[in-house]
Amino acid sequence: MLEAQIRKARAQFTVDVAIRVAGGEACGLFGASGAGKSTILACIAGAELPDDGFVALDDMALFPPSMPLHRRPVGYLTQDANLFPHLRVAENVRFGLTNGARDGGEAWVARLRERLQLDAIWSAPAHAISGGQARRVAIARMLARKPRLVLLDEPFAGLDRHLVRELLAAIIEWQRELGFTLLVVDHEAAVLERICPRAIVIERGRVVQDGSWETLETAPATPLLAQLLAPL
Amino acid sequence: MKRTGALLFSLVLLYPLAGLFAPVGAWHWNQAGTLDAVRVSLVLTALAMVIVVALGTPMALYVARAAPVERVWWQGILLISVLLPPLALGILLSLAFGAKFANTSLAFVVTQVYASIGYYVLGAVAALESVPPALEVQAGLLGHDPWSVFWRVTYPIARLGFAVALSLAWVRALTEFGAILITAYYPAGMPVAIWTNLESFGLPAVMPLLVVFLLTALPLPWLAHVLAQRRAHETQHA
Repeated sequence: MLEAQIRKARAQFTVDVAIRVAGGEACGLFGASGAGKSTILACIAGAELPDDGFVALDDMALFPPSMPLHRRPVGYLTQDANLFPHLRVAENVRFGLTNGARDGGEAWVARLRERLQLDAIWSAPAHAISGGQARRVAIARMLARKPRLVLLDEPFAGLDRHLVRELLAAIIEWQRELGFTLLVVDHEAAVLERICPRAIVIERGRVVQDGSWETLETAPATPLLAQLLAPL
Repeated sequence: MKRTGALLFSLVLLYPLAGLFAPVGAWHWNQAGTLDAVRVSLVLTALAMVIVVALGTPMALYVARAAPVERVWWQGILLISVLLPPLALGILLSLAFGAKFANTSLAFVVTQVYASIGYYVLGAVAALESVPPALEVQAGLLGHDPWSVFWRVTYPIARLGFAVALSLAWVRALTEFGAILITAYYPAGMPVAIWTNLESFGLPAVMPLLVVFLLTALPLPWLAHVLAQRRAHETQHA
């Protein structure tokens, strides 16, 4: 179970939300660009500190006090793949395996490598691969550690539809297999609907609606949400 | 400016090196004190660099990751040490540390540290600022503690910048003359020995020491800068 109550001042408004996601559930954070979704995710991951509130994963308090990043069982992926440019692809994927062979780590990495089609670039320097390839490597690197909580911040932005479909299918498959709790930020309903049965809608740093996509579409809580869900 | 102009500019810039071939008479290769001066300069400057790196690196790490407003203040303080005129630094150090401090190896090293550490820290801060904090966050979330993050991510990405910073500090310390003249006339390092030889014995006694001086001061910073420029060029075109 992920429970978070986050208050964080930003330039134009204050993010003030309470979020609860059941263990193993896949939940989307949906809203217009600049609504504060990424701030919420960064605060849960530990990349930013909330001004006030708490973040807990099961019986583990992530904040406060702020748990050191290296002790958090959290995978965090943003639009930027953030690969380590001085390492090769293989070294990036294995970076989180402090003991490569532990818990069948290498066998699991081999599966990720095959499923994400990393064979051709496995020995390539990370700074020399394309943006789409980098995103696949970043997913493999994040999942190699088998995190209990996975946070995805618009991880498919800028990718072509074919690759998005492929990556969505892989993440859905692994979420079912590993049972991690999944929180995904996106401003495209089509992406979130594929991966998350439930969505929390954020507007100007506040939760304005929380429910299934069907509920959101039939009774949107705000005019802006209705616009975001309306077909083009 | 066309290539010919740039070439002309470079030739004028490097023209002082022609002085090495000036007809000053037979060089005195066995001038007394030359080897001692080389030894004093190299050993004590190396010791000063150990201190500069040990004290300067944590400071650079703190400053580079401080909030922007706070960072400006720290960089302002570091700039004071960089901008302090060497003679003034020597006099102030002598006054601050007292008479017992003067003309000792300790005074030599301390003066070098004061003269060079600002250059190292400011250079190291610039090197660290080139490492995106998001990479360090990722490394942390992948199970690496801050020490491991520094050695496996931060330092490898910033190491050329660190090398440039250290080479600047090295050349600044090794060539320090004004401040050392006040605080540590003895033991005489190369700059002081060159000056005293010039005053006492003329140019033939100075030239061999001058060559050693240039060979120990120039290549390391030159190489570090060239490599750093090449890396920056490669990154821009990747």
